[in-house]
Amino acid sequence: MRVLKYPRPVEMIVLVNAIGFGLLFFYKKPYDYFILIAGLSVILLVGFGYFAIRKAKLGDGYLFLISGMLSSIGIIMLYRLDRELGFKQIVWFGISIAAFFASYFLYRRYQVWERLTCYYPAISLFLFVATLLFGRSINGAKNWIFIGKFSIQPSECIKIIFVFFIAAFFNKYKEEFKELTALRFKKEDIKLYILMSGAYMHLGLMVIQKEWGTALLLFLVYFMLVYVLINNRLFMLINAGMASLGGIGGILFVSHIKVRVDTWLNPWKDIAGKGYQITQSLFAIGSGGFFGTGIGLGRPDFIPEVNTDFIFSAICEEMGIFGGVAIVLLYFILAYRGFKIALYTVENFTKTLALGLTLLFGFQTFIIVGGVIKLIPLTGITLPFISYGGSSLIVSFIALGILQAISAGPAAYVTRKEKLDGESK
Amino acid sequence: MFEIFSSLLKYIFISVIYLFIFAIIRMIYLDIYSMNARRSGQNLPYIKLINRRDSLEMKVEESYILDNNLTIGRAMGNRITIADPFLSGQHAVFDISDGSCSLKDLGSTNGTFVNGKKLENAPVVLNDGDRIRIGQLDFIYVAGLEVQK
Repeated sequence: MRVLKYPRPVEMIVLVNAIGFGLLFFYKKPYDYFILIAGLSVILLVGFGYFAIRKAKLGDGYLFLISGMLSSIGIIMLYRLDRELGFKQIVWFGISIAAFFASYFLYRRYQVWERLTCYYPAISLFLFVATLLFGRSINGAKNWIFIGKFSIQPSECIKIIFVFFIAAFFNKYKEEFKELTALRFKKEDIKLYILMSGAYMHLGLMVIQKEWGTALLLFLVYFMLVYVLINNRLFMLINAGMASLGGIGGILFVSHIKVRVDTWLNPWKDIAGKGYQITQSLFAIGSGGFFGTGIGLGRPDFIPEVNTDFIFSAICEEMGIFGGVAIVLLYFILAYRGFKIALYTVENFTKTLALGLTLLFGFQTFIIVGGVIKLIPLTGITLPFISYGGSSLIVSFIALGILQAISAGPAAYVTRKEKLDGESK
Repeated sequence: MFEIFSSLLKYIFISVIYLFIFAIIRMIYLDIYSMNARRSGQNLPYIKLINRRDSLEMKVEESYILDNNLTIGRAMGNRITIADPFLSGQHAVFDISDGSCSLKDLGSTNGTFVNGKKLENAPVVLNDGDRIRIGQLDFIYVAGLEVQK
């Protein structure tokens, strides 16, 4: 007989929401009963998603739980920072869960995804042109389209399309790519350079929109996929050379990047001006200590952009470095599940797709968390599942839905041995 | 008042997040552990799937290690649950006794076949290499070292 029952993860999510929203209820007088309703709706949304996946047997059971936990922490933090934004985020969370299941069923229903190779760059270009024509700029970057009252950010969608494009391209020419191991330039290599130009076109679109963070993210995902899938050192060297040229060029000639690098090297020189963001972020993380000040007791409102880019600093201030490490650990487990799904998939296209989407989550977290703790120069992208923002949250959940669909595939649970047998044939 | 609440509950809050991580990592551990058990359990008798798994709609493992009183069927609560529509809720049971493994049909609708012969009510002793057909699935029986000697 077991005396101690092991905790079930979904109960933990309910408990986190209960504690978080309970505290928020008592945070300010007069007491607002609406907060309790908000907390209840988050619990119901996570519970609904969890039980739908379990009862209908929709594949991997952990992905949704982990992202549900991350979103719950994000919503609690946003509610504490700004009630209106917190409420909006709950609405976005609901829409995102709908998008999660929609992308799951669409991906499973239509088997066309690997044949649309040429269409993906076209869709990206279309979205880009639409942004240029109808877009409005917020914070210096012209990357928002307004439809009525809502604003969407097409560059978020381009991230997923980019991964689809690379996966489809690799799948189309997988036989050719197997042979390309030599260090010399051969005629067949031309396919590689088509892929390269396609990938760099996406990067270029991001650079024109001044989304440096997303451009960096796409390059890292592309570079990793090339490293995993193509055994050609010359091509790797060319890509690395292009990247370092681009990086050095950016630092020398683009004032925006130059400022970011300067504040990364020494933010204390100009605390009131250029280094204000990063120093406030560091102060917030430092004042949190091990367990943080407690929800509602810190002053994260000093940090600029605290709802989106710098939400990790606010979490570190109020939940402590243990809370921050917990967030990073959650992303670790998420990436682990993604890699496992990629490993256990046999088909070439879905394997690349699963790997690419996992890398997208992983690198995005690394870039923004590394940025706010001054490990790498800061570039403004959102923290997946946590940051405020409808487009970001929905796109993250769409990517998660596709991963979920891959994990549920009939051929997804092939053991390693069978896979090795298949490769040696 | 709120200050006391918040500064006390923060410890609980963070512990709960870590319990969540612990619970998931424990499940991952069990996942990996069962994978290892399947690979290292070579001296136990097991049944191996012959069908191509990508032709099947449902989730089936490549092999199942056999044990005493191991029931197989479609309903939850069986030791081996496979969502094959041609299986009965409780389809058949494996038994290991006196160093030999036997299979018994539990009154299933579509029957259990060993080497093409339909099983009656009595248990049948399995020999190494026997073909077992249950529902849409074909298995081959592999006697481990313990059963052979």
